[in-house]
Amino acid sequence: MEKLKYEKPVISKITAGVPNKFGLSAKQKIISEIDGIPVSKLMDEYGSPAFIISEKTIRDTYAEAKRAFETRYPKVQFAWSYKTNYLDAVCSIFHDEGSWAEVVSGFELEKALSNGVNGSNIIFNGPEKSEEDLTLAINHNACIHIDHFDELYLLIETTRKLNKKARVAIRVNLDAGIYPIWDRFGFNYENGEAWNAINRIMLAENLEMIGLHTHIGTYIMVASAYAIAATKLSNLYMAIHRKFDHWLKYIDLGGGFASKNTLKGAYMPGSETCPTFDEYAEAISNAIISSEIPHENLPVLFLETGRAMVDDSGYLLTTVIANKRSTLGRRTMVIDAGVNLLFTSFWYNLGVYPSKEVSSHVEESTIYGPLCMNIDVIRDAINFPSSKVGDQLVIERVGAYNMTQWMQFITFRPNVVLIDLEGKTHIIRKKENLDSLQSFEMNPKR
Amino acid sequence: MKITEEIKISDNGFVFNSKTGDSFNLNPFGLELIKQIAEDKDFASTRDGILEKYDIDDLTIEKDYYEFYALLKHHQIIAQGDPLDFN
Repeated sequence: MEKLKYEKPVISKITAGVPNKFGLSAKQKIISEIDGIPVSKLMDEYGSPAFIISEKTIRDTYAEAKRAFETRYPKVQFAWSYKTNYLDAVCSIFHDEGSWAEVVSGFELEKALSNGVNGSNIIFNGPEKSEEDLTLAINHNACIHIDHFDELYLLIETTRKLNKKARVAIRVNLDAGIYPIWDRFGFNYENGEAWNAINRIMLAENLEMIGLHTHIGTYIMVASAYAIAATKLSNLYMAIHRKFDHWLKYIDLGGGFASKNTLKGAYMPGSETCPTFDEYAEAISNAIISSEIPHENLPVLFLETGRAMVDDSGYLLTTVIANKRSTLGRRTMVIDAGVNLLFTSFWYNLGVYPSKEVSSHVEESTIYGPLCMNIDVIRDAINFPSSKVGDQLVIERVGAYNMTQWMQFITFRPNVVLIDLEGKTHIIRKKENLDSLQSFEMNPKR
Repeated sequence: MKITEEIKISDNGFVFNSKTGDSFNLNPFGLELIKQIAEDKDFASTRDGILEKYDIDDLTIEKDYYEFYALLKHHQIIAQGDPLDFN
């Protein structure tokens, strides 16, 4: 006699009260393949955990952003935000699509140059630029975005020593209706500090002022804030022309577009609430075009969008290690990927999904990582179907920041694999091992 | 250990605890298992019966059985013994 299909025994408490805000539960989403490659095959080949990056998603997202802006504004240039994901293979895709590089340290500047980016197509942001970094930037004709007066005077001194000109812009911080205001970077617009800095730069012999930059924050969910920022930069742009008879080349609105991840504490999922590229583009383009800047002198619009450009392309494959019950009877699950790999789990409710058909019964669960640390919580509350040890899961939208802010802690960092446009897989960063880590260490002989 | 007197179980898997007012849902296999526990059947004979009927291995049954059992205790469906009585 054929045996019956087994299903784990389940008892669930019926809770009266406010119903689920989304009504009846939807069918459990399953991610069984990425760009046509089965998750099980990827895990057989590259182990667990493993980061997977889809080149197709990167290029599709870039094309969507480019279309949104270029259909509304005549001169647009994207610059890839290195800190969001500076794996060479990822940067190369963005450069291949036409992105410049946006770097925030000497290390990132060296990385962009080693990726073959022409120095004059590099934007050098950030509050920490040493004389050595500035020298490298000047020698490669990078656009240096000055963050504070000490940096301005160091730059003047460096250009004198080198007897070379530097191409510069200033970072402006301003009130765009987003609070708290990020006033720790750059020169303030409202109190006149930015205008003072501009006046000093315009008097400096070796500095060529070519642009204005702002970055109003991160995960900005209100597109209209960019319109306020663009208007204020347009005012400065025109003030420079009036006083110095000088047209700048560009206005840089920075990054900060929200990805479709859901912030912790958000009532609705990010995919429903975050503005689209079209909405950001509409707000920014309208503000600049309707400013007093004559159309023949419109600046190039620079955008340093990182998170919204790459988050969707990244997946983390992981495996169930254990199922447990807390003392309160709550279901908990341990997986083999921890917060040391998923920095964004601290502020997002990351989407965790099974890779194959599962039981229709879901239960509110907590998902822990494998670290022997109490903070290692990937999801503190998620409705998840019952799983067994060895089940393969997929965490989506992890392409931004996780592969730069990760840390080697307790476990090795895993393989990062790129699926190219032809569906071929490539390791783009090898899994660490004891040798690779110990190669940095020196143990004094006693 | 017996199912407490206040617990009523319907044939479609609805469980009501008249002492606490709590109610629960069981899936079909949970219902089958709770009935066997109510009959005071020991684990070994429950396991053998399941192995004969279902496509499953003995270790999975053991894990799931004891997790289910612990939940029944947690929800006060099975009478609580003294947890520190190690005899």
